[in-house]
Amino acid sequence: MRALVVFAVAGALAVVLQTTLLQQLGFLPAAPDLVVVLCVYLGLHYHSAGGATGAFLLGYLLDTFSGSPPGLYALAMTLVFAIVYLVSKRLWVENPVTSIAAVGLGCGVKIATVVAYFAVAAPANVGWLWLLRTLVFEALFALVLAPFLFSALDGNLRAARRAKRPHAIE
Amino acid sequence: MLGLLRTRSTPLATAALILISLALLVTNTRGGQRVDPLGVVFLELVTPIADLGTRVSSKLTHTWNSYVDVVGARQEREWLRTRVRALEADAGAIDAVRDENDRLKALLGLKDGTATRSIAARITGAEASGMFRTATLNVGVQDGVLEGFAVIAGDGVVGRIVSTSLNASRVLLLDDHASGVDALVRRTRARGIVEGGSQAGCRLKYVKRREDIRVGDRVITSGLDGIFPKNLAIGEIVQLGEEEHGLYRTAEIRPSVDFAKLEEVLVVEPPSREVPPPATRAAAGGGEQGG
Repeated sequence: MRALVVFAVAGALAVVLQTTLLQQLGFLPAAPDLVVVLCVYLGLHYHSAGGATGAFLLGYLLDTFSGSPPGLYALAMTLVFAIVYLVSKRLWVENPVTSIAAVGLGCGVKIATVVAYFAVAAPANVGWLWLLRTLVFEALFALVLAPFLFSALDGNLRAARRAKRPHAIE
Repeated sequence: MLGLLRTRSTPLATAALILISLALLVTNTRGGQRVDPLGVVFLELVTPIADLGTRVSSKLTHTWNSYVDVVGARQEREWLRTRVRALEADAGAIDAVRDENDRLKALLGLKDGTATRSIAARITGAEASGMFRTATLNVGVQDGVLEGFAVIAGDGVVGRIVSTSLNASRVLLLDDHASGVDALVRRTRARGIVEGGSQAGCRLKYVKRREDIRVGDRVITSGLDGIFPKNLAIGEIVQLGEEEHGLYRTAEIRPSVDFAKLEEVLVVEPPSREVPPPATRAAAGGGEQGG
């Protein structure tokens, strides 16, 4: 339960930060994509239907606040979860370096989804250079921030597990 | 079947969510109507946090912009300071030229009003010891300046030449203790001698006791000493002497010329003196003449 609350709050904060404060920092070319980091974390550590639902809801939340067509980020984040989940089932990703690599993979999936959407459904006059530049910078900033977010989430995850199995600690 | 659902719940749920979101995206992209079942709920739940975030971000943005403005204002202020300094320097130079122009105009007017021959000169130095009140001029024998010539300025009497060289001369200023000028009180025409070395600058001496002199009276040259032209300003009586006995009275005079600020003067040939042309004098006189 605690993990759910932590993720709900973290997701809301990430979306709010991503769509308000970080957008207004004029010296950054793009806002860091914090939601993708959360979805990657879910894909790495929550191998359950709850994890997939969390990723879907985070994407949907981002859809609601970013003005994108409903379903775009929901799809992208669910795909991110799915890919990271599949990779983490087959590879050992419990160390920081591979975790960051997983974030890179998640960013790649998200970029591919958004680009595919724009390629199929967007109007012809879309600024591809601007779009790609924004997506790449979002991904780079996400990679930079990922270790800190992962560290904070790990702490909460451990606390949640201890709360769930109090005797296990002793 | 239930077992399969349990063991494969994650892939199945993920696949279902992918399909749902894909359907949602396709519907919203193709159809004219926006299908957003959870949007309203999310908006209601997250709007308070988003509102808070927006306020914080606006505050931070405002602070950042203020900081940028302050940095810009600081740079602009430095540029303006530099510019002001440059303009002040220019204005100072212009003021100096204007003052010099005024002084030279006054001197020129004085020169035109002087009946005898006169030579414009610039003060190049003052007595360094402070014991004697003298100044050095940039004109000398070669310019026709000789010992005993009067030196005047726009404000009045400056002194007299006490020594000369080929290209320079030394002036004994009016307020030196060795200086003496035949003078008149302009209001009453009372006669006396103005000497230097007093506290106020000069002292009017040898004025007959019965003469009416007052503080504020103007003192001018009488022209009787054969050095200074007549009616040149010497100064103003600032204090009367307290002698109770004797034939004469004295008075303290503040000179009309501010010697400290003097820059250009006019060297005037004494009215009574016949002076040979400069070239002849230079040939005859040679070097510096003692004073």
